Amino acid sequence: MASLWGRLPQLRRLRALVVKEFNQIRRDRRLVISLIAPPLLQLTLFGFALSATVTNLRLGVVDDSRTPVSRELVAALTESRSFRLGGYYATADELGTAISQGKLDAGVVIPYEYARDLWRGRPTTVQFLLNAVNAYTATIAQGYAEAVMQRYNADLLRAGFPGAVDGTAGQPDRGQVRLMPAFLFNPGLVDSWFIATGIFGLLLILNSSLISSAAMVREREAGTIEQLLMSPASTAEIIVAKITPLFLLLCMMMLLAVAVLKLVFGVPFHGSLPFVLFGGVLCILSGISLGTVIATLSRSAQQAQLTAFFVNPPMSSLSGALNPVEAMPDWLQPLTMLNPIHHFATIVRGAMLKGVGLATLWPNVLALLVFTLVLVSLSIWRFRKQLS
Amino acid sequence: MSQTRKELIQIVRDWRTLTLALVLPVILLMLLSAGLTLRVDDLPIVVQDLSASPASRDFVDAFRASLSLHVVAWPVDRPPDEALTSGAARAALIIPADFGRDLARGVDTPVQLLVDASDANTAKLTAGYAAQITRAYNERAAGVRRVALVQTAIRLWYNPGLSSKKFYGPGIFVLGLSMFPPLLAALAMARESEQKTILQVYVSSISAHEFLLGKVAAFTAVALAECMLMLAVLFTYFDLRLAGDPTPFIVATLLYAFCVASFGTMVGATVASQVAAMQLVALGGFLLVFLLSGLLFPIENIPAGLRWISNFVWGRYYIEIVRDALLQGGGWPAVWLKVVIIAVIGAVFYALAWRSMRRMQLRG
Repeated sequence: MASLWGRLPQLRRLRALVVKEFNQIRRDRRLVISLIAPPLLQLTLFGFALSATVTNLRLGVVDDSRTPVSRELVAALTESRSFRLGGYYATADELGTAISQGKLDAGVVIPYEYARDLWRGRPTTVQFLLNAVNAYTATIAQGYAEAVMQRYNADLLRAGFPGAVDGTAGQPDRGQVRLMPAFLFNPGLVDSWFIATGIFGLLLILNSSLISSAAMVREREAGTIEQLLMSPASTAEIIVAKITPLFLLLCMMMLLAVAVLKLVFGVPFHGSLPFVLFGGVLCILSGISLGTVIATLSRSAQQAQLTAFFVNPPMSSLSGALNPVEAMPDWLQPLTMLNPIHHFATIVRGAMLKGVGLATLWPNVLALLVFTLVLVSLSIWRFRKQLS
Repeated sequence: MSQTRKELIQIVRDWRTLTLALVLPVILLMLLSAGLTLRVDDLPIVVQDLSASPASRDFVDAFRASLSLHVVAWPVDRPPDEALTSGAARAALIIPADFGRDLARGVDTPVQLLVDASDANTAKLTAGYAAQITRAYNERAAGVRRVALVQTAIRLWYNPGLSSKKFYGPGIFVLGLSMFPPLLAALAMARESEQKTILQVYVSSISAHEFLLGKVAAFTAVALAECMLMLAVLFTYFDLRLAGDPTPFIVATLLYAFCVASFGTMVGATVASQVAAMQLVALGGFLLVFLLSGLLFPIENIPAGLRWISNFVWGRYYIEIVRDALLQGGGWPAVWLKVVIIAVIGAVFYALAWRSMRRMQLRG
């Protein structure tokens, strides 16, 4: 490469090629708009819509006890943000039908002896039905229900109900361990900071791979690639010229996305911005080269798009960008090491939220660098092989 | 219809693309459902035991025994928050030097838990697990176990084991169906205008309806073929069965195939460039259906300002029908309205495609 930059005619040729690509893109205004607008829309939408909190589940109630105590339980359940009252039902069967028709998300059945048992200090059981068709919501809702019931139980004891105690063999005068949790880096526990920073990396890879594969294939489909090959330009020059305008456009998108992160989501910037941008540039480059590799492996635009569409969902959902890596089975977790989105998300979160720099994040930067180099050389090699 | 035949021949001739379109969703289905689980456990946590007493070791052992947390070794002389900034652990537990002495004296002792909250949800989980372990430890040490007065018996209907296969299977099935057929249709349409073969259509005697119906029918067929293939996987590998009356599912699937094919054709008809068409399908097929349909994240979570969009997302209705057919079995009374809505949305897409075609068509 060094010699290429040193020699003047080649440099001029490269400039001409870059100008040609720029003109081509400028004339395709739709492409420019579609490159900038949807990603920002996606970032905003995703950031707001993807949230692991569950609210307003419709809760149906069968209250066989019909006492102030049981009504208090219903109030305790529905005053939390997670559940809202979806109506009273006469029998458990009616409740079941309503759940199966999708009118309710959850139901609670309070037994006839509820109040009596409580006054006597006898444990009583409340049945809780959850529609687990959406298992994701159900998992979270289950946790909520348990938490609400725990608090309700504590309130009962405080209200003077005789508590049931089990076992006495121990040291009752022993001190208690009090756990004091402190939430670092995001004390307000804002969900969207995690999601939005994850989406950021996802967008960079997704868009750069889709767009570069499309651009690479188009020239071949239109048959103009032969003309380029007849010219004295080398394949490396052609590739560099092709990538430059896309790369600049994508960098523009990255800057806009950073602005969205800051202005729309209020993500704090504790670390250095240039460091984040440097990671983003590496991320874009690896995305572009990924797209180029896909393009050289396919024969038509359709195939390239299909493959890109196919590569992207698993790459994004198995990256730890949107969900914790620990949610993956153990045998899949090491694979995230090969995923540029994973490394970029770590860099962004480290630099923005935790305020750390290269000293801590060097393994991720190194991984991205290696990834980019390997993919770029792979794409140049494939391109050359295909053209010769 | 000869237009459908022409289109199908074109599709079948490019068999590599066709296999990709049919096989990729199936692989996607298996890969994603294997890779996504609903339980988060084995969260790494570091412990700094400044007390190093029998009591504190006992306390740490309680954490070691837990399945939800996973204790990682960390040297005592390194600041524990470094474990969080470097991503080595999700939380750090710091046991003070007076831990053992305080407990023996009957004084409550504070133990600090630093949690990496850059992932807010996992942070809540981690803190919750740690609190559970601490509570259990306290109860065990005191020898008193409080029995909760009101016990909750939680029944999970339709997916009692909270199996992620049963949850993700239908979702990814819908996603695959909403992504790949419209992509093919849009690319085929956009290619006609990019390669100017559409002009031949304009000057030919074929009417806009004939041309569009031919296209849509061809891609509906592709969508149905893909649907069959994925259903085969769902029934074998995912162990799913049709619950209850299958007719609403069959009708809805036919309509949905028509709907996505029309969507793709419409996009291709209005946008002349393949790249831009692909972007639009990515936006509509992937983003909208993935995000705003309740496929993964409940619709109720979306801020009200955006939630109304989900009413127009075709995938939202289909996913509910598919889940009903495969898990719930509510039948016609539960889903008839959704079937009608899918048909209406499909018709709207078709009408839009027809409008943009007709404008170009030569008269007479």
